[in-house]
Amino acid sequence: MSIPIPLRRPIAPVREASTDTACDNPRVSKPSTIVNLRELRQSCADCALSQLCLPASIGGADLERLDDIVRQRMPLDRGGVLFREGSAHPSLFVVRSGSLKTFVSLPEGDTQILGFHIAGELVGLDGLAGNGHQCTAEALERSSLCEVPFASLSDVAAKVPGLQHQLFRVMSREFVREQQHPVMMGRKQAMSRLAIFLRSLSERLRGIGHDPLELNLSMSRQELANYLGLVIETVSRLFSRLQAQGVLAVDRRIVRILQPAALAALAEKSDDEGK
Amino acid sequence: MPVTRLPASLIDRSAIFDPDLVARHDVSGPRYTSYPTAPQFRTDFGAAELRRMAHASNGDPIPRALSIYVHVPFCFSPCFYCGCNRVITRDTRRADVYLDHLAREIALTAPLFDRDREVVQLHLGGGTPNFLDARQMTALMDALRSGFALGGGDGREFGIEVDPRYADAETIRTLAELGFNRLSVGIQDFDPRVQQAVNRVQSEEQTRIVIDAAREHGFRSVSVDLILGLPRQTTERFARTLDAVLALAPDRIATYAYAHLPERFRAQRQIDATELPDAAARLALLGQCTRALGDAGYRYIGMDHFALPGDDLAVAQRAGTLHRNFQGYSTHADCDLVGLGVSSIGHVGRSFHQNARELPDYYAALDAGLLPVQRGLVLADEDLVRGDAIQRLMCHGRLDIAAFEQHHGIDFARSFPVELDRLRALADDGLVDVADDAIRVTARGRYLLRIVAMCFDAYLDAPNAASPRYSRAL
Repeated sequence: MSIPIPLRRPIAPVREASTDTACDNPRVSKPSTIVNLRELRQSCADCALSQLCLPASIGGADLERLDDIVRQRMPLDRGGVLFREGSAHPSLFVVRSGSLKTFVSLPEGDTQILGFHIAGELVGLDGLAGNGHQCTAEALERSSLCEVPFASLSDVAAKVPGLQHQLFRVMSREFVREQQHPVMMGRKQAMSRLAIFLRSLSERLRGIGHDPLELNLSMSRQELANYLGLVIETVSRLFSRLQAQGVLAVDRRIVRILQPAALAALAEKSDDEGK
Repeated sequence: MPVTRLPASLIDRSAIFDPDLVARHDVSGPRYTSYPTAPQFRTDFGAAELRRMAHASNGDPIPRALSIYVHVPFCFSPCFYCGCNRVITRDTRRADVYLDHLAREIALTAPLFDRDREVVQLHLGGGTPNFLDARQMTALMDALRSGFALGGGDGREFGIEVDPRYADAETIRTLAELGFNRLSVGIQDFDPRVQQAVNRVQSEEQTRIVIDAAREHGFRSVSVDLILGLPRQTTERFARTLDAVLALAPDRIATYAYAHLPERFRAQRQIDATELPDAAARLALLGQCTRALGDAGYRYIGMDHFALPGDDLAVAQRAGTLHRNFQGYSTHADCDLVGLGVSSIGHVGRSFHQNARELPDYYAALDAGLLPVQRGLVLADEDLVRGDAIQRLMCHGRLDIAAFEQHHGIDFARSFPVELDRLRALADDGLVDVADDAIRVTARGRYLLRIVAMCFDAYLDAPNAASPRYSRAL
C-alpha cells in the first residue's frame, strides 16, 4: 500500500473525524499517543472558529490574555467522557472538531440525550450556575476541544472589552438552539421531528462553512431515536421513506440532502396538515 | 435433444472471445469476490472486532439488510478436482455434531445484529449442503429463524448448492418448503470417461430430476456449474455435454477453469496429469463453451458466469444494479454478510472476517462459548476506494470517472497514476478503452475482467503476493 490517495476536497473537521472511524479500527484502536503539536499550539488567533467565538475587535494583548486561559485538551476518542453529571469545577468547552452528545441519566437506568454538539458549539453551559455539571458530555467520534475555566473567564471578560458581550451572544445562540428540542418534541408527527433535526444540523454545518447538504451522522440511530423520542425502527423507516422520495440519499452514516426545499416543507408542516 | 437457437439479432455480442488475447493474458489472479482478498486477512482481527463492527453497523440510519452464508463441509465422496474446504465421510451423525455447533454459533452471532435487519439473501454452500437430511436441514433453518428475521418475500435470494447424486424430487420439495428459491447444481461434465477420471459419476437423468423438481416447486433460478480443463476432456466430447446442459435450460451457467495444484489440494493428486488437456486444448474448450452459450442466448455476466437475458442477474446488469460478494454475482446491493460455519467469510461494515478453517478449531471455540472468528481485516479508506473501482469494473465493465471522483472525493488521475499506466498498457492490447470520462472494458476484454481489475489491486505489488494460490484464467 504505497500509494496514498490525495484528497481533492479538503476534509472538513466533522467529516474527517467520522469518516475516519479510527476507534473502530483495531490497528489504531488504542487511545492514540500521537499528539498533533501544531493542533495543540494553535492559538485563538489562528482558530478557524474565531469568528464564532471571539469579538471582532479583539486583538494583540487581549488575545494573548484569552490564549492564556484557554486550555486545549488532548483530543477525546469516541466514547470519551468530557465531564460527568455532578462533577465539580465545571468548565465551558468549545468543540473545535468532531462532535459530542450530552445526556442525563434517568431513574430507571436509561438515559435521555439532550443534544448533539458539533464544531463551533459550546458544551458545559449547564455548569454556569455553580452546582457542577448537570449532564454528561461524551464524544461521538474523535473530537478536540478548548476548555475555558469559568473562574478565569469571568476575570478576563472583565478586562477585555467586547468579550463579555460576545460571550452573551454565543450563550444566547446556544440557548436558542437548545430550545429547539422541546419545540421539536412537541410535534406529533415523527417525520416532522426528523426533518427539523436534519435541517438544524444542515444549518449548523453551513454556519461553520461546511457543505450543508452532506451530513455525516456521528450519532447512531439508537442515539437519534432517543433524542427524537422515537423507536429505532421508526427512525430507519423515516430515512427509508425520505430516500425513496428522493429527498435524501443515505449511504451508511452519510446523508446527502437532495431536496432541501422538500425537507424544509416537512419540517414546517404542522401536525394537522396532510395526515 | 435439439436446442432452440436464437435469431442472430438476439445473440449477445457485448462479449467477444478472442483466443489469442486470452492466451496472452493467462496469468494467475484473484477472483475478487472481495477486495482486499482473503490472503490479506490478519489474525489481530477477532471476535471483539466483529462485535464492534456489528454494533456500529446497527447504528446506521438505515442499517443494511443481511446476507447469510452457511458452510456445510461434508461430502460423501471426494471429487478429485475439488479445492474446497471439505470433510469426506459417510457418517451422517457427524452432521448432528456440526449442526449443534452451528446452532451455538447462531445463538452467539444473531444478537449482534438488530432484529429489524431482514435477511434477504441466504446461501448454503459446501462441501455438499444436501449432506444434511430433511430433518437436519429443518433444524438448521429453525435455528436460523430463531435468531434472524429471514425474509419471506419474493425478493429473497435463498440459494443452496445441491449434489444431484444424493438428491431427488422429494429433497427439492423439502427445500422449497423451507424457503429456498435458488438452486445451484454441480455438473462439471456429463462425459462418463471424464466423470470416472474425477470420481464424480452423475447421470443426466439424476440431474434432470433435481432441476425439474426445482422448477415445479417454484424456484426462481437454477444455476449449473461446469468445469473446463478436466482430464480426458476434448471439444468433441464436450460438445455433447454442452448440448445436454442446454437441454436442461438452466437460468445461469458457471464455467470454471480447472486449476491443477496437487501440491496444495491433496485430492487433486488422484488426477493423472498426463490426461489433462494442454493449454491449446483448454483454450479451444473455453472458446467452444463461450460460443455455444452465446449462440443459445446466454449473456456473459463476467468472471465465468452466464445467464439467460430474463434472469435476475442479467436484468440487474442491464439496470446497473449488479453486485459482487463472496457468493459471487448478486442482485442484492449493500448487505452486511454474516458467515456461519467452519471457514466461512463475512463482511460487516468496513470489515471482513473469517471463521476457523479446521473443524477441531471451530468446535473448540464454540465449546468454550466463543465466536469462532479467527482472522479478518478492517478496511482502510484506500481499500474502499480500490475495492469500489474493482467492483464497478467486475459488474458493469466500466468506471465513470466523474461519478467515481464525486463519490469518493478524490482526483482520479492524481490518485491512480500507476494504475492508469497499467490500464493504458492493456488498452494497447485492446482489453479496455481509457478515456477522460470513463474506463470501459471492451467486448474482447470482458473475458479478461480479472486482468483489468488487477490494475487496482495494491496488494499484488507486495512481496509474496504474485502467488500460486490464485488460479489462472486458462
